[in-house]
Amino acid sequence: MPNITTFNSGAPYIYLSIFVAAENGSLHEFDAIFDTGAPRTEFSDSALQYAGFISGTKPVIIKTGLQSQKYGKIVLPHIQICGHLIENLEVFVSHFEKSWGIDALIGLDFLRQFKVEIDYSKGILTSDKLLILTK
Amino acid sequence: MEKTLTWNEMKTIFPDEWLLITDFTLDQSGHLMCGVVTRHSIDKDEVYRLPAINKPSAFKYTGESTFPGGWRAHAEHHHV
Repeated sequence: MPNITTFNSGAPYIYLSIFVAAENGSLHEFDAIFDTGAPRTEFSDSALQYAGFISGTKPVIIKTGLQSQKYGKIVLPHIQICGHLIENLEVFVSHFEKSWGIDALIGLDFLRQFKVEIDYSKGILTSDKLLILTK
Repeated sequence: MEKTLTWNEMKTIFPDEWLLITDFTLDQSGHLMCGVVTRHSIDKDEVYRLPAINKPSAFKYTGESTFPGGWRAHAEHHHV
């Protein structure tokens, strides 16, 4: 069964909640933007540090107009996007400007695993796990 | 006991701030409906400081995002 996720179609981007199971077992919720321009899902270093996956953040100077500044990779054992549990997803560790107001970009790696349909006029995102056949 | 606030109340009481919210309730799409504001600050680092609170937490920003966008930002940067 596909999952139905609503979003505010009046907002400049599609904002979604992303849930991360922290090292201590707590499930934390972070705000994310669905970004088809991002090849892979990215997380802010401050969010990953809070959740216990990295021990510190690196000072980064980001240039105006550029996107996030990726400086590492990490595998998150359990995250949840649009109601789907995803295990062992490798994500970029990035510096996010604080004024962006988000902690993650949901990238194309999500689209590779799920069939996603967006009805922008209704603010509805429908997602369903793709069946990947292996020999 | 700390007061439970709706998301709209949080935006009104804590404008342009980062919030750490516990004991929260979500709607079916995972959007926060209400919860207890445990930390709040205009400084994100203050809200995300360690040690972490040992319970499920939601992190929200009540201001307008200045996220520059994907291809649009790329195009603007390269004057496309």
